[in-house]
Amino acid sequence: MASMAGTSEIYRNVLGSDLSQCVENAKVLMVGAGGIGCELLKNLVLTGFKDIEVIDLDTIDVSNLNRQFLFQKRHVGKSKAEVSRESALRFNPDANIKARHDNIMSPEYGVDFFKQFNVVMNALDNRAARNHVNRMCLAADVPLVESGTAGYLGQATVIKKGVTECYECQPKPTQKTFPGCTIRNTPSEAIHCIVWAKHLFNQLFGEADADEEVSPDTEDPEAVGAAGEKAVQNQEKEDAIGGIERASTRTWAEDIGYDPVKLFNKLFNEDIKYLLSMDKLWRKRKPPVPLDWETIKKACNNEEKEADNGLQDQRVWSPEECSDIFSQSIDTLKQQLLARGEDLVWDKDDTASMDFVTSAANIRAHIFSIAMKSRFDVKAMAGNIIPAIATTNAIISGVIVMQALNILNGNLDKCKTIYLNRKPNPRKRLLVPCGLVPPNPKCYVCAAKPEVTVFLNTETLTVKTLEEKILKERFGMVAPDVEIEDGKGSILISSEEGETEQNLPKTLSEFHVGNSARLKADDFLQNYQLVLNIKHRDNLEDDVEFEVEGDVPAPRPLSPEPGPSTEPEERENQAAAGDNDEVMIVDEPAPSRKRKADESQQEAEEQQDMETAKRARVSDATADEDDDDIIAL
Amino acid sequence: MVENPSVTDERNGSAITEDEAALYDRQIRLWGLDAQKRLRASCVLLVGIKGLGAEICKNLVLSGVKSVTIVDPNPVNEQDFVSQFLVQRQDIGKNIHINDICHDNGVKFFAADVFGFYGYMFADLGEHKFVEEEPKIIEASDNESSRSDGEPKAKYRKVDVNETTIVQKFAEFYRLKAALACKLDNRTEKILKRLPSVYFMIKVILRFQSQYGRLPQTTMNTGERDNLLTLRDEVMKELNLDVTLLPDEFASHCTAEVSPICAIVGGIVGQEVVKAVSGKDAPLNNFFFYNGLEGHGTVECFN
Ligand SMILES: [Zn+2]
Repeated sequence: MASMAGTSEIYRNVLGSDLSQCVENAKVLMVGAGGIGCELLKNLVLTGFKDIEVIDLDTIDVSNLNRQFLFQKRHVGKSKAEVSRESALRFNPDANIKARHDNIMSPEYGVDFFKQFNVVMNALDNRAARNHVNRMCLAADVPLVESGTAGYLGQATVIKKGVTECYECQPKPTQKTFPGCTIRNTPSEAIHCIVWAKHLFNQLFGEADADEEVSPDTEDPEAVGAAGEKAVQNQEKEDAIGGIERASTRTWAEDIGYDPVKLFNKLFNEDIKYLLSMDKLWRKRKPPVPLDWETIKKACNNEEKEADNGLQDQRVWSPEECSDIFSQSIDTLKQQLLARGEDLVWDKDDTASMDFVTSAANIRAHIFSIAMKSRFDVKAMAGNIIPAIATTNAIISGVIVMQALNILNGNLDKCKTIYLNRKPNPRKRLLVPCGLVPPNPKCYVCAAKPEVTVFLNTETLTVKTLEEKILKERFGMVAPDVEIEDGKGSILISSEEGETEQNLPKTLSEFHVGNSARLKADDFLQNYQLVLNIKHRDNLEDDVEFEVEGDVPAPRPLSPEPGPSTEPEERENQAAAGDNDEVMIVDEPAPSRKRKADESQQEAEEQQDMETAKRARVSDATADEDDDDIIAL
Repeated sequence: MVENPSVTDERNGSAITEDEAALYDRQIRLWGLDAQKRLRASCVLLVGIKGLGAEICKNLVLSGVKSVTIVDPNPVNEQDFVSQFLVQRQDIGKNIHINDICHDNGVKFFAADVFGFYGYMFADLGEHKFVEEEPKIIEASDNESSRSDGEPKAKYRKVDVNETTIVQKFAEFYRLKAALACKLDNRTEKILKRLPSVYFMIKVILRFQSQYGRLPQTTMNTGERDNLLTLRDEVMKELNLDVTLLPDEFASHCTAEVSPICAIVGGIVGQEVVKAVSGKDAPLNNFFFYNGLEGHGTVECFN
């Protein structure tokens, strides 16, 4: 690939001497050295960029090697940032590349760190880091190129403070969750059983979460018609399972030494029989069929194992095989638990963890007459895997550099959001440029004084939930301080360790935070302040702890050919409750810019005109602002 | 000769190993195991290995094709048995010649190149059979359609994401010779205005190549730009078309292989080769043009 090494002369020729000078002097930050990152780093080096910093927390996995071409088998387990640097230097030994095997969200990388760069480029795969880099770039007033890919689809856009939308200007659909009673009592799709099996894993081997119960839910509103009935059922329940529910699943499992047969019979026989006793549930549903270990072992005939292409992963296991694998994986996980001496964390790439979830989910699916799935398919759903290929990443990484060149050249007006479609659109475009959109004045991140209204039950919601679920998870803060706007400036949460720990278990009302209260949340690292207007609600739906005004509900499946850019988002929302790594979130900016697959020529032209108009506005606004940018999937 | 060698030729057996399944996990999830099997049985000949060639080569090797053979432009031999043919940066006579051999022998042919901020790909897959996965559509039941938001039920056709049907399809391609000789002056002004200008640019550059025996080298030099514009006027006049269909700016941005443009065009070519050999998904027929100044990539069929 020696010929790939560009020379300054060529770049002076093609970029013009001014731009090639800009490129040579530019200092750029690349966040993420995975699928897009590998391609991007190669492009940057070959385009003549000389001063590049790469940061990535991740290490190399074998499933990265089909597209992350800077890595080889011998690099598995090593730092992506460091290996990508070494490999890229071979294309151009003169480049100065600094690799950081670290988390970009760490406090070490404050506003001053971001300010050193002329452009920041995101090559990320998760929303939390994207939100964070978005805020850091807004705070540092550095232009950001945001990007993303999912399968055949991709996009790249530019975010510039005060000029364009920021990454968070348009509310993004929240991740789909399933009601607890669907998971615990009345699963109707494979995904319900998979979510249940992952919860079961955490109950048995991991960090138990009260929201992840796996036993029958006796308070299912559908099952409890009248109070009297409920009491009867509770009585029955204790009779039926001898008060097992009172002890935690984990303690009970430990007491029986993780005996697979006892676990099997409890989960797939006793619990199912208990569910059957809640007969209201089965009036309009097919009732589940309890299994027991003895019967299933007896039924174990020598049926021919269909060797469909020979891959264990691709074949759907029989219930008998599932019960064997269930038993074996429990033994392995028990040993892992003993060896580690601490909770296990579910990992789709760990064989026993994956075997456990596949077998448990499939046995449950079988009981509820739901089609069973191969391990390959279960992995996709349980691990939120987004397919990824080299070519899409290559294309998007090229687009990112084109955006960066426009920024460095002072041509922000030429930057666009570029979508890569799976098929040409009605205007025959495969790569579709759309004008950048000005900031949303109501954005809860980039507005001058951001405010947001949150509906919650002040009598029951704790300070801990406010911090973890609302401020960190929903509003992307890293270390928030919260002050009550009560004239006294009472501190509710402090980011200094130990200062407000005692507040965490208390409810908001204990601090006189009621309807119409205002809370000032401040994240020092992100240089970001947000005012929360609290509206008390005591009638939120089950399992819903809070609602944010203007939030978009998770989209329902749309018509057949979804607009090209909608697909990743939908995939994300179909994905299960998992939350790990590389594969998970495929975001995209600005739902407003989605294109309908069926748009007519005429509409397309109008759209184009509109975009031209938008561009004009953007360029008017450019005058003396610094930039910020956007991320694409 | 085999009409579509890649589909019938699975000479190394079709069993994908567990190791391969792990390595190609993320793409098998996208195009399926059958497509991956065909990929691993296919051989590609790549002619020319500069910036764009390197990109294409990288993408194909990553995809898991059986082999990529790289040759320098000259020693191309009609006896080469290949299931794919890739050509770039050839003079036009050679490309047309190679394309003819491929077309006559049922070998899939691609040509691609990058000129500064512009690039293109041409494909001649002959008579190409392929399959497409289409989602199963189920009409929403009355129950489901009475949604709280009161949207009429007709708007909701339910797509079962887990179920798809495989549909067999067919596409006919044309030779490069025909695609380049395409008459356009009978088309309406509206249609002409929508044609990607890069098509005309390619013709101008081909003319430049045959006239000067080389590609345009530097845009720092006004003489070179003037030569390009003169040839542009000539080419457009012969086509009986308005010169503004290829605005002047191309002449200042059409030299050298710019790395990000190679990445973009190389990515498109890589994906099209994957489609061609795997027989999965609709191929781009027959030109793809990328315009780096505007940021758009357009597919247009010329014949
Ligand atoms: Zn914003």
